[in-house]
Amino acid sequence: MSVALAEGNLLDVVDYRGGFRGPDGEVTEVLAGVSFGLRRSTLTAVVGETGSGKSLTALSVLGVQPRGFVRTGGRMLFDGEDLFAGGPRSFERVRGNRISLVFQDARAALNPVFTVGHQLIDVCRAHRRLGRKEAEQVVLDMLERVRIPDPLRRMRQYPHEFSGGMAQRVMLAMALVSEPELLVLDEPTTGLDVTIQADIMDLLVELISSSGLTACLITHDLGVVAQTCQDVVVMRSGTVREIATCEELFTAPRDEYTRDLLAASRLVEAR
Amino acid sequence: MNLTLTPNKSAASPDTAANAPRRRRLTRLPRRGSMAVGLVIVTVLLVVAVGSMFWTPYDPDASGVGLPYQPPSAEHWFGTDRVGADVFSRTMAAAATDVGITLAAVLIALVVGTVVGAVSGFVGGAVDTVVMRFMEILQAFPALLLAMLMVAAVGPGTLNVIVVVSIVGIPNYVRLVRAEILSKKHWQFAEAARMVGNSRSRVLFRHLLPNSMTPVIGFSSVNASWVAVIVASLGFIGLGIEPGSAEWGSMISRGQDSILSGEWWISTFPGIAILVLSAAFYLIGDGLTESGEQR
Amino acid sequence: MSALFGRSRSVLSRLVGALVVVLGVVTLTFFLARVVSPDPTNLYVSPQADQATRDQVRAMMGLDKPVLEQYVTYLGQLVRGDLGTSFSTGQPVRDDLLSRLPATLELATYSLIIGTLVGVVVGIVGAVRRGGILDHTGRFVTVAGLALPQFFVGLMLLWIFFVVLGIAPGPVGRLPVGLVDPPQTTGFVVIDALLSGQWAVAGAALQQLALPLITLAFAIFAPIARTVRTAMLEALDADYVRTATAMGLPQRTIHYRYALKNVLLPVLTMLAGVIGFAFSGAVLVEGVFAWPGIGQYALDAIQQSDFAAIQGFVLYAAVLYVVVYLLLDLLYARVDPRVRL
Repeated sequence: MSVALAEGNLLDVVDYRGGFRGPDGEVTEVLAGVSFGLRRSTLTAVVGETGSGKSLTALSVLGVQPRGFVRTGGRMLFDGEDLFAGGPRSFERVRGNRISLVFQDARAALNPVFTVGHQLIDVCRAHRRLGRKEAEQVVLDMLERVRIPDPLRRMRQYPHEFSGGMAQRVMLAMALVSEPELLVLDEPTTGLDVTIQADIMDLLVELISSSGLTACLITHDLGVVAQTCQDVVVMRSGTVREIATCEELFTAPRDEYTRDLLAASRLVEAR
Repeated sequence: MNLTLTPNKSAASPDTAANAPRRRRLTRLPRRGSMAVGLVIVTVLLVVAVGSMFWTPYDPDASGVGLPYQPPSAEHWFGTDRVGADVFSRTMAAAATDVGITLAAVLIALVVGTVVGAVSGFVGGAVDTVVMRFMEILQAFPALLLAMLMVAAVGPGTLNVIVVVSIVGIPNYVRLVRAEILSKKHWQFAEAARMVGNSRSRVLFRHLLPNSMTPVIGFSSVNASWVAVIVASLGFIGLGIEPGSAEWGSMISRGQDSILSGEWWISTFPGIAILVLSAAFYLIGDGLTESGEQR
Repeated sequence: MSALFGRSRSVLSRLVGALVVVLGVVTLTFFLARVVSPDPTNLYVSPQADQATRDQVRAMMGLDKPVLEQYVTYLGQLVRGDLGTSFSTGQPVRDDLLSRLPATLELATYSLIIGTLVGVVVGIVGAVRRGGILDHTGRFVTVAGLALPQFFVGLMLLWIFFVVLGIAPGPVGRLPVGLVDPPQTTGFVVIDALLSGQWAVAGAALQQLALPLITLAFAIFAPIARTVRTAMLEALDADYVRTATAMGLPQRTIHYRYALKNVLLPVLTMLAGVIGFAFSGAVLVEGVFAWPGIGQYALDAIQQSDFAAIQGFVLYAAVLYVVVYLLLDLLYARVDPRVRL
């Protein structure tokens, strides 16, 4: 089957393959040709169980795969340009600038020995020509937008002084402060309390829809997907099993594995 | 609504990124290699040490087997010293002393330190406080000075040196093992083992300790490398084993004045021997620590 | 308010702990020294002296009293700042130590600065260029620095630069024979000589300093480089570095600010140990180069069973250790926001 790239996708992952090199030098393939596209100004979910390769694919969009991962093939077309073709440089150009990434476990992902404000301002100034004072103001506004109370005081605090939910808001602010076009969310609510998960997801959806962002949500929570996303990509064992709109997926799943997933999550009956 | 993309399996040619892994493999090899080198060196030194008890080119303790101050030659590979003793034979014989003392001292420190640290961490309370204070007192001494003081107090001799040097090393093991035990004390497997009716000591020595030994073993090799240096230092000051017997540090001390008059070989060869032994233990220790971290 | 109280209480408990350690060291040394030299009168009186003279000396020195009483007397003297009198020099130990301290401080300070700087640079370069030629070279030199006894390094340097090449002076201490010390202001001969405008003396002092400095700096460099490299590798692998990369921060910022500040913590700990070693433990370096510092004083004291001198030195080393580690705790709390005193 040939690749039929749709016009106007912001990101196209095309037959992306790779794996981890073992001690014997053999590459164990964990991504066996992943292909999907992200429509502009759309929230697309990539769902699948642990080990399906969804997070690995997401990290690859920014070229921050874990040590030991080896790409064996495929393309990553961002706005029509293959990110792999230009070497590490092309990733550096888009990283944090046009594409941003929200990690899971934000408290671990932030630098423990710098204040939150310091880190936010660094990111802001790395991408926008702003003076220190202006950057501070931008960051302050952004913290307000992610609804962190008392942002001026919070900026002077260190990551360990933040709760998991608050830290995730900081992470989100950091991802948005450079005004990216694509936002990749790697299980942003995993490990948070259920009520806080809902708050964060509401905030995310609101920010994405209000700014017309393209976003890609990596998750294993089909409930969240049903409520928030427009497109869904189902992955399993390093392959894409089904691509559908949210409505199609939940009403008429075509792939057997998708049906199993839905049955397991009991969302089908609920609807 | 139409899907914009369907899953597909087209072949795209792998590009230059595939070269990256080969470079990474190259960087990893020397690490494993260096550990192997360390093991080989220690083995060779052990063979030399044991072998020297049966055969050396000349009697290592005899003076006048050659003329004094002979530079290295075919007859005397490492030359001769002030009293005409064969430096090569002495360096060989000293391997038995230095390697033996080092291994014995590390073994004692390892066993005693592990038991004390494990019990202290497991029991906690006043015992723990007293033990840890005492360890801190020992560590407040500069290591070499503590060793010098204790040897001066108990007198020279192989056994004394072994005990003294192991005492200097013990606090490190105590701290390391204690920290490991503390971090695992409340892990589920320990609680579970306790709940199914194991005695406290059984939980500690059968369940907790075996799970805490990886960093300890790695450290013991690093410890061996500086024990070798301390043993030689004691010998150099003349506070080591019985005066006159072959030991690398005391051999260097014997050749100290000769160096200033140009007879370099008397001190240099035993010095290189210390370097080789100590470095070998470092390489092994590094390798052990790193493979422990990967797990 | 309560935080303030808690803080001062924990500082207080640290101080008490430090005091306990110093007391423990002093006690241990006292009894060890008793074993070394249960009856030091022989060092004082001639071998031909009769029993009456000996008894007189013993009584004068308080050696006829029970050991515990001697111990209490000794502690009382310590509290008053009296470290006793050295058998071998006949001087109060405190004066001996003070007069020898500048030589040790001068050597140790320069060596610490140079050794630490080189160690940090080598460690960072090794970690950033992991597996490269620079990394392998650095690791090789580091292992050599860890595995070589300092006295041997000193002797080899003397052989190469003094005996063979003839470009370094022999091991005769801080100044060549025949030169007079410059007027003392800082106690550092090189600086004092410069301050008083004696350029030749300063030059000669620098030459005397070169080899012991390289020896000690090498011994300091190795553990620092090793610690920095390990810590830096760990930092470069940390989640926050991945975040910073994904956020598009320049690599320079990531390496030299984000990672480096985290590396500071283990390095501070290592530095504390190294400082204690350099200011008190460099006994054999001073020995080889006849450097008239307190390390050599301690070496002589042990070899001559001069136990007042030994105790004085050990007390100095223990106080140094305790002070350095208290400072380390304070610094740690400043660098790592998660640590509170």
